[in-house]
Amino acid sequence: MAGMIDEYVAALRRDLDFDPPLARRLADEVEAHLWEAVEADPAGSSPEAEQRAVARFGLAREIAAQFAADAIDRQARRTWMMLAATIAVTFVAMRLRVLWLDDLETAMSALAALIDRYAFVAAVATGIVGWFAFRRSLAPLAICLGGLAASIAAGIARAGLFADGAPLHVLLAAAGEVALIGLLSWHVLGLHRRLHRTAALRSAR
Amino acid sequence: MLKGHLDTIVLAALEAGPAHGYAIIETIKRGSSHTFDLPEGTVYPALHRLEDAGLLSSAWMTPPGGRRRRLYSLTKAGATALADRRKAWGRFSQAVETLLGGGRAWPA
Repeated sequence: MAGMIDEYVAALRRDLDFDPPLARRLADEVEAHLWEAVEADPAGSSPEAEQRAVARFGLAREIAAQFAADAIDRQARRTWMMLAATIAVTFVAMRLRVLWLDDLETAMSALAALIDRYAFVAAVATGIVGWFAFRRSLAPLAICLGGLAASIAAGIARAGLFADGAPLHVLLAAAGEVALIGLLSWHVLGLHRRLHRTAALRSAR
Repeated sequence: MLKGHLDTIVLAALEAGPAHGYAIIETIKRGSSHTFDLPEGTVYPALHRLEDAGLLSSAWMTPPGGRRRRLYSLTKAGATALADRRKAWGRFSQAVETLLGGGRAWPA
């Protein structure tokens, strides 16, 4: 029976692996809580007291599932904010490119211009619908991410035809949109991981 | 039934002053005459959720010769939220009590 608290805390850490900082903090808190409960046990410190403390605390998976559900809301909120920032910066970068490329446009870059514009419009439209109707869903975020990535890639390919003469502000805006699309991808993956983990914890209850 | 009110109950348990998770659970058990004998671990998601919302703050404290614990305190926003929820609960419980036949006429 000895080590039951350690085993419980280790199980909780494993179940919270979708958020390592939370897992560390909660493991410390729960360990302190359980030892406090053991010390308060009328029978004194014993394996039986540890067992009672762990039983009163509840199943590690159920506690982790509650944290996972809360984590989805937090991660979804962060991801939507990141999407809004990416859309704003992509729009600015696109306008700067258009202003600069107006005089240089060639037939070769016309297709890239179409993709740049309409993939962006599709991403914004999906984002608006997703925000109002499917805020906790991964699908609209994934579609927006794909649309924005296509728009950014097409925009950069289009500008790349004239890269030698690109002004600094156009290059900086392009760097900004690439950085933000990377961060957005990371957030979308994080949301996917949390949704997956929550589903696994719930099905195991 | 308790699940929807746990956050408010936790805020109320911290009204008297800062406390750690174990003490909060004990306060809830004692304060409800052991009616709310919920699994102790369920208080931690509520504590973290309330802290994320800015209604609680927390910090590790080690009392002399004691065990290191994380103490939670009501923030100003938390105290305001508790007052608002208390008013809302008063109205709600009075209405339910009236509908179930045990109270004064509603609305008062």
